[in-house]
Amino acid sequence: MADRAAPDFRGLAIRDLVIASGASPITQAIAPGEIVGLAGLDGHGQELFLKMLAGLAPPLGGSIELALSGASRKITGFRKAVASGIAYLPRDRRANGIFPTQSVLDNFAVSTLSRDTRLGLISPAARKARYDIYREKLSIAAPRPDAPITTLSGGNQQKVLLARALALEPAILLLNDPTRGVDVATRHVLYHVFRGLAADGMGLVILSSEIEEILLLCQRVLVFRENEVAADISGDAMNTDSVISAMFGRAA
Amino acid sequence: MSQISRLLSLGRSIGFAVVLLVVLLAVNLILSPGRFQPGSWGALVGLAAPLIGAAIASTPVILAGRGGIDISVGPLMGFVNAMVIQVLFLKAGISSPLLLVPAALLIGALIGAANGFLATIVRIQPIVATLGTYLILTGVTLTILPAPIGPAPVWLKALAGPWSMLPLALMFIAWWLVRRTPYYDQLMAVGSDDRAAYTAGVDVTRVRFIAYVMTGIFGGCAGLMLTALIGSADPNIGPTYTLIAIAAVALGGVSLAGGRGGVAGAAIGAIDIFLLQSVLTTFNVSTFVLQIAYGAILVLAVMLTALQERLAMRGR
Amino acid sequence: MAGQNLFATTNARVVGAFCVAALLHLAGTVLIPGYSAPFAIRAMLVLASLLAVASIGQTLVVIMGGIDLSIPFVIGFANVVAAQVYGDGWNFFLVCSLVGVLAILIGGLNGLIARSLDIQPLIVTLGIGMVVQGLVLLWTAGFPSGSAPQAVSSFVSIGGSAGPLPVPWLVPSLVVLAALVVLVLERTPYGRRLYALGSNPGAAPLALIDPVRMWVITYAASAFFAAVAGVLLLGFTGSAYGDVGQPYLFQTIAAVVVGGAALVGGRGSYLGTIAGVLVLTEINTLLIGLGFQPSAVQAALGLIIVLLVSLYGRERHVSTTI
Repeated sequence: MADRAAPDFRGLAIRDLVIASGASPITQAIAPGEIVGLAGLDGHGQELFLKMLAGLAPPLGGSIELALSGASRKITGFRKAVASGIAYLPRDRRANGIFPTQSVLDNFAVSTLSRDTRLGLISPAARKARYDIYREKLSIAAPRPDAPITTLSGGNQQKVLLARALALEPAILLLNDPTRGVDVATRHVLYHVFRGLAADGMGLVILSSEIEEILLLCQRVLVFRENEVAADISGDAMNTDSVISAMFGRAA
Repeated sequence: MSQISRLLSLGRSIGFAVVLLVVLLAVNLILSPGRFQPGSWGALVGLAAPLIGAAIASTPVILAGRGGIDISVGPLMGFVNAMVIQVLFLKAGISSPLLLVPAALLIGALIGAANGFLATIVRIQPIVATLGTYLILTGVTLTILPAPIGPAPVWLKALAGPWSMLPLALMFIAWWLVRRTPYYDQLMAVGSDDRAAYTAGVDVTRVRFIAYVMTGIFGGCAGLMLTALIGSADPNIGPTYTLIAIAAVALGGVSLAGGRGGVAGAAIGAIDIFLLQSVLTTFNVSTFVLQIAYGAILVLAVMLTALQERLAMRGR
Repeated sequence: MAGQNLFATTNARVVGAFCVAALLHLAGTVLIPGYSAPFAIRAMLVLASLLAVASIGQTLVVIMGGIDLSIPFVIGFANVVAAQVYGDGWNFFLVCSLVGVLAILIGGLNGLIARSLDIQPLIVTLGIGMVVQGLVLLWTAGFPSGSAPQAVSSFVSIGGSAGPLPVPWLVPSLVVLAALVVLVLERTPYGRRLYALGSNPGAAPLALIDPVRMWVITYAASAFFAAVAGVLLLGFTGSAYGDVGQPYLFQTIAAVVVGGAALVGGRGSYLGTIAGVLVLTEINTLLIGLGFQPSAVQAALGLIIVLLVSLYGRERHVSTTI
């Protein structure tokens, strides 16, 4: 595994984070190797929370810090977040993910272009070699990596975007509904990959609109209601009923 | 604080172009009361009319979205000008408005249909398609009319002063009628999101095609207004209107991305530009300074519009 | 479906444009005596090279999803300022540096305003271009003076030669420059980001692309190459002329589009632009050679642009983008 940051990673500390005015602050810690699910009815703050973790939205209060061995880095913006070891996979593939006129390779490498440069020029061989690692890991079915990404199925496009995020070698991976519009076979490949990443020490935060998916993947789920964490459920207490009750604000 | 925000919300509701209009009008009235006395307003409208017409003409295709733009509006005006005077009036001896007006509008409609065909059915990017028509019309105009010639029929020249309100009013009425039809809703829907409109069953190609034809007809009308103003035929004036008209449209709050704005805004934007020219002329500066100020104020005006929209977004 | 896809890829469009240029040249050779004479070919190569330099910036800007209407004004600005300052006795290297730096500032301002405030670049570049032209007119009182140094004149002279080659140094220099531009677009992080930004502006920031920075750099580059074209034109025509750039407004756009770029961004190549430049130069030479008036040449040019683009530059129907 090429996860550079992972060994140093000590966790993501969220302290008194306020995501909407009037909402009570959120304090959470995401440990290395943990898969945390975010659930809630649409628009109840779970997406805002995820975006704040990625530095894409400014918090109204509190702090987010990535703890690395010896130092901790405060997340204040998207670039800072990425530089500190956070990767984010956006929700709407067509609007915020793919570059439709560009090849699979271009789409894969766009966030990490400088890693393939030799004297300022991109080495196609180095880029291809780097892509091949992830193609294998994610079993991307792309007959020709130099063909436009739009020639791939939705599931494979999503895998390429995941490869783009993983190429940043993050300590924390934030996934915004990663299996939306993805076929069942690809979903199981993705689940397998997510578990593997966690096993290697990466922390994963997965927002999903499907409770089954969260129950299947996550050790812990944060259920959002009215921009607050209504429930933090883990272990045996985690089941469809408890999550749904929390989503609708009923006592479990 | 609340004063400022109230002012801002006022500006938001009535539009930046209107505020600019009031300011420019006041400045003009102070600087040159003689030129702007009520008695000469008719003549002023006549001077502004072709630009207002060109701006109105540019609007429908821009509203239709996805890069919709017609840069051939100016050359179309020049072509109509040349055809009406040189070919129909002087060569063929037709002088009746009952024939010349429909002929001008028909020419506009045909050119508009050609643009629409290229941009929506052949699906060439609108700016390229209309660039092609721009070059064709400019070339053909120069071929049939190598040098300025005159005069124009008397009735047409009479449309120059206060009477230039007539064609403008007709254009507004035409647009007002379009707004009553279901087509208008389709146009705005296609302009703001053509995919969604298509999925909802709107015939996107037809809607855009009609927008080009409307632009052509309005352009033909603007060509007549230009002819009335200059009272002759001149092959070099028409093309100069294209970019200024598009600037006027943008100034008038019509989104060049489509789906937002209307001909009233475009007309106000055009009047802004006219008044701006007028202010600059009263300072009696050289045409060079005029051009600098003109370009700078154009950029500043769109910048302020954009900033104001940003503030409005943040205030929400 | 297969027939539609034949011209769908950018490469096929570029090859297509080169084929059209070759066919036009063949037609010219058959129809007009002396069309392929060495002097005629040299003249065409020089004219094409000048247009190719002016079109570098438009290519970059269009790939990024913008458009630059300030190119003709910057060409005129560089043309007049270089002549005037050189005429005042400045060292020519200093003259070029001054013009280059000023052009970069003008272009950077274009990009900064258009992107940071999200204003249509069409309006911004037009407005800035008009200001630039007005300033130049004001400075020279409308009557520019001065001339180009002999070195620039012989660099672009149709009768010149580059060592053993029977063409002026401009032509081989352009070949090298073109190779560099292609290399930058294809093989540098900047080039790949440029395509990505044009392809999907919404996804670019999430892929660590800074749109404002890209727009400033690219518009600055566009203005810089326009300024280079302006200085070269000074050598070509011999004296300064503020409107020397005007034909380049639509010609640069036409060259880029005939070369297969999409004005919505994300598609295009400088090789394609070169093909487009050759097509435009051939059409111009052919029609003038056939005895057409300039106005008729212009009309024919418009017709041919529309025909060519309808052959291989068609956009997709909205139903296929859902």
